[in-house]
Parts: sequence; C-alpha cells; structure tokens
Amino acid sequence: MNTSIGKSIHRKEAWDKVCGRAQYVDDIPLAGALSARLLTSSCAHARIKGIVLTKALSIPGVQAIVTGADCPEHFGPLLQDRPALAREVVRYAGEPVAMVVALDEATAEQAVRLIQVQYEPLPVLLTPSQALAPDAPLIHKQSNGYKKVMEDIYPEVGSNVASRYQIRKGKGQKALEACKTVVEKRFYLPPSDHVAMEVRSARCEIATNGDVMITTTSQAPFSVQTQIASAFLIPSGKVQVKVPFVGGGFGGKAAVSLETLAYLASQRVGGKAVRLTIPREQDMASTPSRLGLEAMIKLGADKEGRLQAAEFTYYLDCGAYSDSAPYMTKAIAVDCTGPYRVEHLSCDAVCVYTNRTYATSFRGFAHESYTFCVERTMDILAKACGKDPLEFRLLNAIRPGDLTPTQVCCTNSLMGDLPGCLTHLKSLGEWEGAKPVQIKADTVRAQGVSCFWKTENPPTDAVSGALITCNEDGSLNLHTGVVEMGSGGQTHLAQILAEKFKIDAQQIHVVMEVDTRVSPEHWKTVASLTEYMAGNAVLQAADDLLGQFRRNGALALDCPEEEIAVSHGRVYSIKNPELFIAWKDIVKGYKTPSGTSLGEPILGRGGFMLKGLCLLDPVTGRGRTGPDWTVGAQIVEIEADLRRYTYRILRATTVMDVGKVINPESMRSMVAGGMAMGISLASREYCSYDAKGIPQAPNLRTYKLMHIGQEPDYRVGFLETPKEDSPYGVRSYAEHGILGIPAALGNALSSAFQQEFCSLPITPEMIWTMAKEREQ
Amino acid sequence: MIPFEFTYCRPDSLQEAAQAYEQLQREGKSTLYYGGGSEIITMCRGGSLQPGAVIDLKAIPECTQFHLDEEHLHIGAACTLNQIKESKVFPLLGLACGRIADHTNQCRITLGGNLCGTILYRETSLPLLLSDAMVTLMGPKGERRLSFKRVFLGSMQLHDGEWIVAVHIPRWALSAKYAHIKHTTNEKIDYPLVSVAALWKGDHLRAAFSGVVSYPLHSEAIDAVLNDHAIPCQTRAEQVIRLLPEAPQQDVEGSRAYRSFLLTNTLTTLLEEWEHGSI
Repeated sequence: MNTSIGKSIHRKEAWDKVCGRAQYVDDIPLAGALSARLLTSSCAHARIKGIVLTKALSIPGVQAIVTGADCPEHFGPLLQDRPALAREVVRYAGEPVAMVVALDEATAEQAVRLIQVQYEPLPVLLTPSQALAPDAPLIHKQSNGYKKVMEDIYPEVGSNVASRYQIRKGKGQKALEACKTVVEKRFYLPPSDHVAMEVRSARCEIATNGDVMITTTSQAPFSVQTQIASAFLIPSGKVQVKVPFVGGGFGGKAAVSLETLAYLASQRVGGKAVRLTIPREQDMASTPSRLGLEAMIKLGADKEGRLQAAEFTYYLDCGAYSDSAPYMTKAIAVDCTGPYRVEHLSCDAVCVYTNRTYATSFRGFAHESYTFCVERTMDILAKACGKDPLEFRLLNAIRPGDLTPTQVCCTNSLMGDLPGCLTHLKSLGEWEGAKPVQIKADTVRAQGVSCFWKTENPPTDAVSGALITCNEDGSLNLHTGVVEMGSGGQTHLAQILAEKFKIDAQQIHVVMEVDTRVSPEHWKTVASLTEYMAGNAVLQAADDLLGQFRRNGALALDCPEEEIAVSHGRVYSIKNPELFIAWKDIVKGYKTPSGTSLGEPILGRGGFMLKGLCLLDPVTGRGRTGPDWTVGAQIVEIEADLRRYTYRILRATTVMDVGKVINPESMRSMVAGGMAMGISLASREYCSYDAKGIPQAPNLRTYKLMHIGQEPDYRVGFLETPKEDSPYGVRSYAEHGILGIPAALGNALSSAFQQEFCSLPITPEMIWTMAKEREQ
Repeated sequence: MIPFEFTYCRPDSLQEAAQAYEQLQREGKSTLYYGGGSEIITMCRGGSLQPGAVIDLKAIPECTQFHLDEEHLHIGAACTLNQIKESKVFPLLGLACGRIADHTNQCRITLGGNLCGTILYRETSLPLLLSDAMVTLMGPKGERRLSFKRVFLGSMQLHDGEWIVAVHIPRWALSAKYAHIKHTTNEKIDYPLVSVAALWKGDHLRAAFSGVVSYPLHSEAIDAVLNDHAIPCQTRAEQVIRLLPEAPQQDVEGSRAYRSFLLTNTLTTLLEEWEHGSI
C-alpha cells in the first residue's frame, strides 16, 4: 500500500505562504546594504553619443554610478552577446544603460532621473521578417565573434540570425506533392511577458577574502554561480548563491540578469552589500520576456486523412540578445510536427535578433507558441479532409514504433499514450464535434481541441543531487538544489522519499532555501524535470541511506546484513520480524546496553546525470535532446456572441499522461494553472510596441492578465503510462497545462466565428476586423 | 517607491484644508488634494508627477458623508468606489464604480479622485451628468454648490485650490430605469473602449459615454436623436456617431473604427431592448 505517493498532501510551505510568513529576496532586511537603481534606454536602437553623470553624482548619498564603459564582459547562457549595461549601442527600449548605487533606493532613483544620455537613433527592426530582409541593418555587427558557451549555436555572419536548426526526414517536397490534400498557413505571435507576482531582485556582497555572496530570485542558482565565476574570472567556489522562495518564475527567472549587475554594483563600492530590486515596469521592459514567433506551415494528407508530409519554417523573435532563445529554436525543431506520425518532413527553425526586449525561456519552452501554429493548421487540414478534428488527431497520433522528427523511435515508456488521452478527453471534455451549437439568437457554443507534446532540451550532461540527513526522532531532512517557486516540486520529492521508506511524508523535512555551498547541484529548476532528475537523485540517496541503515541494523540486531530489511521506520530481520529496532535508535550508529559503540552515523547521498542525449545532426537533425516526452490533449469550450464579436470561456479540459500521479490535488492545480495562463495568453496578453519600438504597456494598468472571477470550469484527467527510469514512473507535467490551450481556444473561436485565426491574442477587435475584411 | 520628499497634511475640517492649501502655496509647494492616491502614487513612481505637498481629505466629515435625505443622496468625494457600489443606493453609479479597477483598488479609489484624475475616462461622471446631480466645492475662496454638469465639462473646472466636497443626487434618479454597458479590449477590468450609461427620466432616455472620445461625453443633441422613435434603432445609433464632437479615440486599447462599431452596436442593442420593453 502506498504511504505517500498518490496522496493529496498540502505543499510543505503552504502555511508559511498563506500566512504571509514565507520570506522572499526582497523581504530580507536591508541593514547596512546600499541600494541600486537602473537607468534604462528610451530608444529601441541607437548609438550612445554621451552620458553625463555630473548632476546625478552631485546628489548626496550617491556612492557610485556604473555604465557600460566600466564592464567590458559579455554574458549569455549559450552565446555571450549581451553586455550587463549597454556599451556604445542600445538594442532595445528598456535596456539597462547606467546603474546608480546610493545609500537608499530613493536617492538612487533621484540620481537616475538626473543622468543625461544622448542617443543617435538607428533603424529599428521589430519582427523577424524585417530583420531577415536582405538590406536589414545588423543589430549585432559581429555576432559570430561572440564566445559560444554551447557548441551547437550557429550565429550567421552578416545577418541577424543568432542560430539555425534544420530537420530533414523522408522525401520532403516530393512527398508533399503526392498528397491529396495540402493546406498552408502563416502565423504571427507577438511577444508577451512572464508577469511573475514577485519582481526580480538580487543582492550581492563581496567579503574581504574575495568571497562573493549573492542572494537572488533565480530559478538557476548554479548557473548564476557559473556565469559570475566565468565572466569575472573568480574561482567558482568563491561564489556563493542563495535562493529563498521564488514568487513565480515561469522560466523568466532562469536567465542570469540582475545578479551580474548586483555584482558590478558591489564591486564598485568596495564589496559592500548592494540590493537591486527593479520596479514592475522594468521587470516587464528591461529583463527578458517571452519570445515572438512567425511560422509558415504546410501539411499534407492522403485520401484517408493520414498525415504524409509537412514543411515548417519557424522564425523565432528572440529580441536584442539570444539568451536561451537558440535552444528554444532547437526545441521547436525537435518537436516541430506536434505529436503526430509524419514520415516526410522538413523544418527550418531560425532564431532572429530584433530590437525588442530579449526573450528567455517561458512556461512551455516555445512549445506553447509553435503548438498554436501546428494545431490550428491541423484543424484546417481536418476540415479540408472532411474529418472530425478529434478523430483526425486520433488517426494521426504518434504511436510506438513511429519516429519523431529527430528520428527517435517511440516506445510506450518514452512517449506515453496519446490515443488514450484523446479517448479519455472525449468523455471528460464532453466533445460534441467541431460544429458550433446555436444556443440563442446570435449566440453559439463551440469547442476546440488540441494535442500537445514536449520533450526537454537540457545540456546533455545536466545533473541533480540529493542529500539526506537524519534526526533523532527518526524524521529525515532532504536537501536538494531545487528552487521552490510554486510548482510543489519539493513536496513531491518528499513524497517520493517517504514512499521509498513507507513512512508518512510529514516525516520528511525539506530544506527549501537553496545555497550553492550547502545544496547539491540541481542543473536548473526548469523544464519540469524536478521529479525526474531530482527524484532520481533522491532515490539514489535513499538507497545509500538504506545500505547504511542495514549495516547499523545488522550490528545492532547482531545478524547478517542480507537478513535486514528497512520499512515503516523500523529496521528488522526478515527471518524473524519480531527482532527489530526503530531506525531513530541507529541514525547516529548504535550503542549497546553495555556502552559499546557500533556502526557509523547515517548520511545519504545521491546523484543523477542525464544519459543518452546528444547534439542534433546539423543536416538531418537526427538526435535526441530530452529524456522523454509528455503527451496530452485539451478542449476549450466557449460561448460566442456573433453580433458583438465577444466570447466567454466556459470550460477548459486537459487529459495528460503523467506517468504516475504523485499528488493528485497539487498536480491538478498545476495543470489548471497552466490552462489559466494559456487562456490569458491567448485572449489578452501581448507586448505592444509603437513604430519606434517603444513598449506601449510595460505596466499592469495596461497589460492585462486574466483576473480571478473570470476563470472557466477546469477539468483535469490523468493517464499513467510509466516512464521506465523515472521515480514511480512519473513524467514531466508541471509546465504542460498551458501548451495546447491557445490552439484549442483558437480552434473553438475559428469554428464559432467561421474565421481562421492565425495570430494571438484573439480579441473581439481582431474578430471584428477579420469579419469586416471578409465582408468587403 | 516614491523617490522624493513631500509634505503630507491631513486636515479635520473644510476650513483647515483650505487654510492648509493657502499655507502650502505661500511656501511655494505645488499641492494636490489626495483621496485614494492610486493615480498620484503611480505617477510619482513613474516620474511624471512631483508634488511638493498633498492634502488628504479623508478625515473631513463632509467629504466622507454618505446619506440619503428627503431630496438627495449625498456622497462625499472621499467615499470609495466600493462603498458606493456596496451601498446599492444609486444602482447606475454603483455599476459604473464596479467596473473601474479591481476590487482592491475599488476599496481605495474615491469618487472625487476618479472625477478629478488625469486618466481621461472618469466613468463615475456619467451617472452624475445624467441625474441632474449637484456638487459642492470648497476652496480658499469659500464653498459653492452648483449643478454638476456646469462644472464638469469633460473634466472638473475648478478654481485654484478648490476640491470636491460632495455630490448630491436627486431622489428620482435613484429609482429611475437605467442601463450600463461597458466594452473593454477583452479583460473585464480594464479601461473602457466604450462605456455607456443610460438613465430614463420618465420616458426620456439620457445617455452618456466614456472611452469614445477623449473625455466623458453627455450631449443633449445626442439624447434628442436617441429619443426620436420615428427613426429605426440602428439609424439612430449611426447618427450618434456623426454627432460626436471629435473623432473616436485610437490607442493601444482599440482602434477608432472599432470604437465606432462598438458604440453603434451598443446603442442599437440598447434602443432595441428599450423598444421591446426588456430594460
């Protein structure tokens, strides 16, 4: 019987959070620390002619002002193309240009407002198409001169291409020509923002011995350590990074940004502690946001409606700097078809610089974007073939034995069960078909369906670790490098560990704060890999612990180690279960009644490294980037007012193959949260820029998220096809609720309004505009 | 964070507030009256406003009054939108208040602040323009009470140092037939693309608009068209567009053409529902 897996226990930190006790970076008292504020660029692309600091420096309390001239280093997780503060050129509006360090935040801000910067405007490029035009000016003069951190980044000389990936499988163009039905569609998705509740913040102090101590709102403390150490030539052991709770990341806090600035600030004031917390406006315009995407998709099917061939071109708008966008481009290529069997295909995925706020990972790692394009085209193809869209997907769903775009052969363990998800979805989501249902004059109800899949794109050698220490009462302390940012990962790890020993998860104390000097490395808390990577490390550590319990137990019970079993908090003899000892009595070794000491104190350690991944073949794209796939299917149901061009979302349903349900309620709510984010993204959110590239709404007065009270009914169903090498078979699931929602909503609206929507967000004005264009 | 120092005054009476204003003027401080502060705080953070002093009106009894007598409903300018909404005394004003900002901010934003703010929508003005409301103003030169529509010409026309003490709504308006329709880009709580408030005095429809042009609008010429039953509903609505004093707004929230469509469509529906007796 399970003691912990499959139980809906509360998140470990839930009470601290709901009572307002949980501490985030900016809550940590400031005693003695200085404050920094940023001056950001008011131009999207310009040469910096001069910066006048005189007035700002004259403000009492100003300690230092740092500009790009003071820091020649370049940064970036894949390609080092980004200065900490703009040097000579600004490449997006909102780019940090100068930083004031002062006794307090108000003084720093006053000084910031007195810095005068003279710009000479340069031409502004706002879409990949503009940036790829033959005569487009170069945003980076020598992008191929930047240092590559990862080998598979391919900036192109004399162009705005930061990297490019291609997939070639089967016969390509010829196969497409042989198809009975071919549809072709173009898409444009604007960038948007993560809008985590907590704005980014970092503080840094440099000790007299040169130790660098950084506390930050990061999903990737170990990357902060690596990047600071490598950029400033500090031995990495001298860089200590701490992360308390993070108030939402959604991928946006995986990028290293403010940490570098906080380090530069501290360095300039003799190592004193400096705090840099940015206001919401800068969190939106200056630090990285979600990508934009242009796509051209061609799908072909035979007379039975079976997908035969496909052609994809994806232009990813990465903004002014590449950050993790090249890998998001690769991620699109790897999964370009969606979860369908397509024998012949070609895909070109290009990462393009523009003069927008640069992009970094966002929940779904670009899958939330390209899935909209593929799944909208799938609906159009289904219609052209005269098929029900759900049945059409079922017919073409990827199955064991099929090859993915990068020619990985599917198995149940690797892929899960998409046909099963679709079948379950049909009943859970009450699928009624693609035809809208008239419910009153001018009002229809309509449904849209979408599938999704996602594999991961970590470095091929990403690691995770776990340490377990013991308390005298028999409870265990679990240390990992996983950041707790709301996904409940820490609690799931506790459940994984508790199940292993058949004890209550209350007996596992999770150390929430990550400290690179204490916590074993966990690559990054991204890609929904916590349960797989850290979970495996936890099980390794548990095995290690088990061996030690058995050794101490054998000594204490005076019987051979092979005869010892450990369970339910006891160590006992298999032959004679009445011979047992509570493990709390042997956690420090064992002392006999006569005082003899036996054994050693118990301390569990476990590590895990991804295996079997490789780089993609540059020509065919053949290769494997992630440990597995997660598949699922979703339905969005809407009520549309055909006279007013408005709509209401009634219900959103997801069925996902999660391998194993570790915690039903927390997993259900993560998936529902993903759906909410998808609805908000598809119906409201985008970063709008004027013709000069100035963001029009970098604030929450104008940038709208879906508010509470407007949520539809959420339904979540799980399938459990185990992944062989994962703890209890669990798959990545945390991001995935978002993935197909924009597409399902787009499909529902397209059906209701009889229009093919190819852009987001789908607002009443967009629907009205398209209807009007059609009339004319 | 507001990065500069300013003086904060919280007078207990109308006279004290007026004296404080004069005193701060003598000290050369640019002075703002302060209700909920949501707009002042935003603008001070963003750097577009730097007052030398603010005078908080929330401790003045006349500014926080909320009572009904035989003739009028009296609402102090420092009453919050939420207070007005939850009182349910003037349903049309309650609906207007209920769609300005989210609940947290509705508990902070005051009626006076919404009427006097720089954000151009000022949606609480619409029910006041339609209901023959009176307004009491106070300033260093003393108190005056006059018709709201005389002093609200798109925005409040106040003398130097004057502020709104209270508004007074005649009782007929509280029980009159009404309608309130607000269209936004897509989020329920957002600035209006088109916000329409309608109030019937007897059989006569009065309608006022926010979001359409650059200021809240009530026009008797438009009312006359709306009440012309000889013309079909849709035609009346289309005529209203031609009577607008300026072209509809065009901004990040929505285009000019779309706003025109929304206004026509909303008015057509409103008129049709009126004719069918479903309002």
